[in-house]
Amino acid sequence: MPEVVAVLGTYQSQFKLRHPELTFVEQAQHAAFGALQAAGMTPDDIDAIVFSLAPTAFMGVADADRWSIDHIFGAGKPMMRVHTGGATGGSVVHAAHALVRSGMFRTVMIVGAERISETPDAQKVLNQIFDPFYEKEMPLQTITTVALMANAYMQRHAITQEHLAHLVVRQRRSAMNNPHAHLKGNITIADVMASPMISYPFKRFDCCPRSSGSAAMIVGNLDSVREHQSKPAFINGVGSVSDSNWIGDRIVPTAHADFIDWKLMALAGRECFRRAGITDPINQIQVAEVYDAFSIQGLIQLEQLGFCSSGTAFRLECDDAWDIDGMVAVCPSGGTLCSNPIAVSGLVRAIEAANQVMGTAGGHQIPNVRNAVATAVGGIAQFLSCTVFGADIMKEH
Amino acid sequence: MNVYVLGLAIHEPSSRLDALRLEELVYRTARAALDDAGVTRGQLDSVTLGSCDELDGRSISSMLMAMPAGAYLTDEIKVTDSGASALCLATARLKSEDFDLGMVASWCKSSKTDVESVMRLRGEPFFTRPFGLNMLLSDALFAQAVELAFGIGEEEVVGRVRASYERAARNPRGMGFEVPSAADLRASVREAMPLRKGYRAPLTDGAVCMVLASERWLDRNPGHTPMAQVTGVGWATDSYRLGEQRLRSMNSARVAWRNALRQAGLDGAGGIDVIEIESQTGYHEAAYVRAFGLPEHVAVSPSGGPFAQNPLFCTGLVGAAEAVLQVAGRAGAVQVPRVRRAAAHSCHGYAQQGNVVMVFEAAGAGIA
Amino acid sequence: MSGNTAEPARGYLTEQVTLRYDYAFGEVVGTFMDGLKNRKILATRCSKSAMVYLPPRAFCERSFEKCDSWVEAGHEGVIEASTIVVRGFEGSRPPPIAVAYVRLDGVDSAIVNYVEGLDLSDVEAAMRRICPGTRVSVEFIDEPQGSITDFHYRLLTDDGSAARAGGR
Repeated sequence: MPEVVAVLGTYQSQFKLRHPELTFVEQAQHAAFGALQAAGMTPDDIDAIVFSLAPTAFMGVADADRWSIDHIFGAGKPMMRVHTGGATGGSVVHAAHALVRSGMFRTVMIVGAERISETPDAQKVLNQIFDPFYEKEMPLQTITTVALMANAYMQRHAITQEHLAHLVVRQRRSAMNNPHAHLKGNITIADVMASPMISYPFKRFDCCPRSSGSAAMIVGNLDSVREHQSKPAFINGVGSVSDSNWIGDRIVPTAHADFIDWKLMALAGRECFRRAGITDPINQIQVAEVYDAFSIQGLIQLEQLGFCSSGTAFRLECDDAWDIDGMVAVCPSGGTLCSNPIAVSGLVRAIEAANQVMGTAGGHQIPNVRNAVATAVGGIAQFLSCTVFGADIMKEH
Repeated sequence: MNVYVLGLAIHEPSSRLDALRLEELVYRTARAALDDAGVTRGQLDSVTLGSCDELDGRSISSMLMAMPAGAYLTDEIKVTDSGASALCLATARLKSEDFDLGMVASWCKSSKTDVESVMRLRGEPFFTRPFGLNMLLSDALFAQAVELAFGIGEEEVVGRVRASYERAARNPRGMGFEVPSAADLRASVREAMPLRKGYRAPLTDGAVCMVLASERWLDRNPGHTPMAQVTGVGWATDSYRLGEQRLRSMNSARVAWRNALRQAGLDGAGGIDVIEIESQTGYHEAAYVRAFGLPEHVAVSPSGGPFAQNPLFCTGLVGAAEAVLQVAGRAGAVQVPRVRRAAAHSCHGYAQQGNVVMVFEAAGAGIA
Repeated sequence: MSGNTAEPARGYLTEQVTLRYDYAFGEVVGTFMDGLKNRKILATRCSKSAMVYLPPRAFCERSFEKCDSWVEAGHEGVIEASTIVVRGFEGSRPPPIAVAYVRLDGVDSAIVNYVEGLDLSDVEAAMRRICPGTRVSVEFIDEPQGSITDFHYRLLTDDGSAARAGGR
């Protein structure tokens, strides 16, 4: 039988534009130390490490994970770095889950850091992800490609920029209860609408900030739970799917997983929910920490995960269905929209979901959370991952 | 859950592969591995990639490379340590029982960029990068440390390099480099003390893919014969600080070796018939055979190792594929007779900061 | 160093990093680029999946077979997705710029390029003229060089709404 896998402890730093008082490795160390402290563990209790690090060009040191080895108590230990772009933080949880579930290790520490503002050329780096012959010449990067998709989605479902703005207002407000969040505050729909247009339909307030910060999560098997954590969050389901890099293949009638409606998330969710025994998400899941670097992204995922039908999530948004006291609390942390330290953003979603289950979310804790889902999005929404954290052990079937 | 190698492919190596773009190189290799395994892309339920953005020249290389490796609408993940690290994670994924049929893919066009520039970029910017630490310098520091630690003489290094080239010359999957004479090697330029140019394995372009299957999958799909069982995978990392103790102790190599053997149920090197070692220089082989305590009977790198081909990032996974071929009796002209167990070693990072050891066993041999 | 200061020294080390990469054309890029020089947009076709691809590629990600023939794409097509980049992108052309993924006639996938000849002074109005479903034509530059910017898209008529396709 595979091992049960649970979260033993988590840590996230405050997220802000820069941390000039720390080096990258010191940020990683804060996270490792913080997670150990949260779990009541020492470095000797950690059997292996998975490092969460997306493109290194943002901070200018290839293999910054190795620079961190000594700082995160990694010398002599098995360590590997996972990198799936923006989905990295979801993929590291899946990798650590596999390492424990396989029986190879008793405990695994996931740790990572990001300082995207170390370069003024982040969007140039993000243009570098495209095909060198056909696409790099075009003004393609994360904002413009998601904008392309958003226009088509909004036309298809008659969604307006005001619908998107409603979500931005809610999440900035939620983030006021989250001491880690980068952007937060009471803003109005008019404020969002008045923010400068970047790539239609996205205005500045529809887009995430560039955040610096670090995060860590320690996972372990049932033995380690007994030793270290009286109220763990069990990783009951994982699902991850990759699609073509060719956006032009994914927005046409022949697409298998239509990108306009993010059908790919339905595939990732189906696998994840099957493993986690989730058959009725809206009633079984209380918190959804969906990865939303842009205002359009999070709710589309809810639709594909079966929380509501396709095209309806933004209308429900305007009925406050996704607020902290709504049907499902969506990104009570403020989400990626309020803090985006790319290398660990997906990990922060997982940490937030796990914390909600463990009852350690602090000011934005939602009462009585039995299950929480976290997602991560990488490439041009080409890599999607989905993870379910539960208060109870999923019975194997 | 036992894990098996169902099929594999090693792309024909080249000093500079201009005819194919990276995607095409990997597609061809992945497709050949699927054909070798007798399965189709649609049957895969997981893909594990090992690649390096900085060598591939892309910020998120898997965006363009996941599909050629067979990941269309499939669960795919990427590690950036080495190709061999991808095999380790893929093995864990199958052992977790969440997956049953996995592709492992890794590649490297060493010719695409100046590798040493990438290596310098690996150095942290405050203390390491200013003095230009790169692969040559860190390998030289390692060579010096193990020379002193083990008393490795230049005579032995020359002998090992020559022998590697001789074995490599017989390897149908190798570059077929001319075997240099001992005098040639000794006369080659000193690049960084104590390394001479001739002691270092030349970089090449290449790719390697492996299809892994769980025992459950094999039970459900009778008629497929696995090439080998993956009985042990171990890996570890060393301190970033290249002090003398760090260099000479080869600690992560020993930990990886110990863990892989323990997982394979072995209490020493005695049960191993063949080992493929990632010897980036002649000093590496000399050091690793000592660190691993390999007895005389173990055949070391019958493929010629990196001297046969050296697509840097995936050289260790090529070695793993060679070890699997040995166990399956398919190694051709470099086949060692009666191989029951073969190990493969890979190292990555500055002065072998990370080490990986994999153990393969003849399929069925471990089943009582 | 003299005296005891409570504040640590703060600062940055600034470094410009340059790496050179040679991206091989491989099996199909060269043919495509040569086609452009002759004002042809060449797509590859996989007979197993019956998919016709732009940008062209050597193999089909779905069937996992090699693409086995070349097909010339039509010089008209339908916009599948579009945006206008207003600010914040330091590319080869200064914003505002309109880009669209267009599925050219006879091709299954869409290929991105600039949309030229649009009045971008009113972004909202311009977006309505290039919304998904709009038909466009391909226009080549006077002297094609064998580069993706040899062509771009143009609205079929002055009144974009009159040229709307059936959509899906």
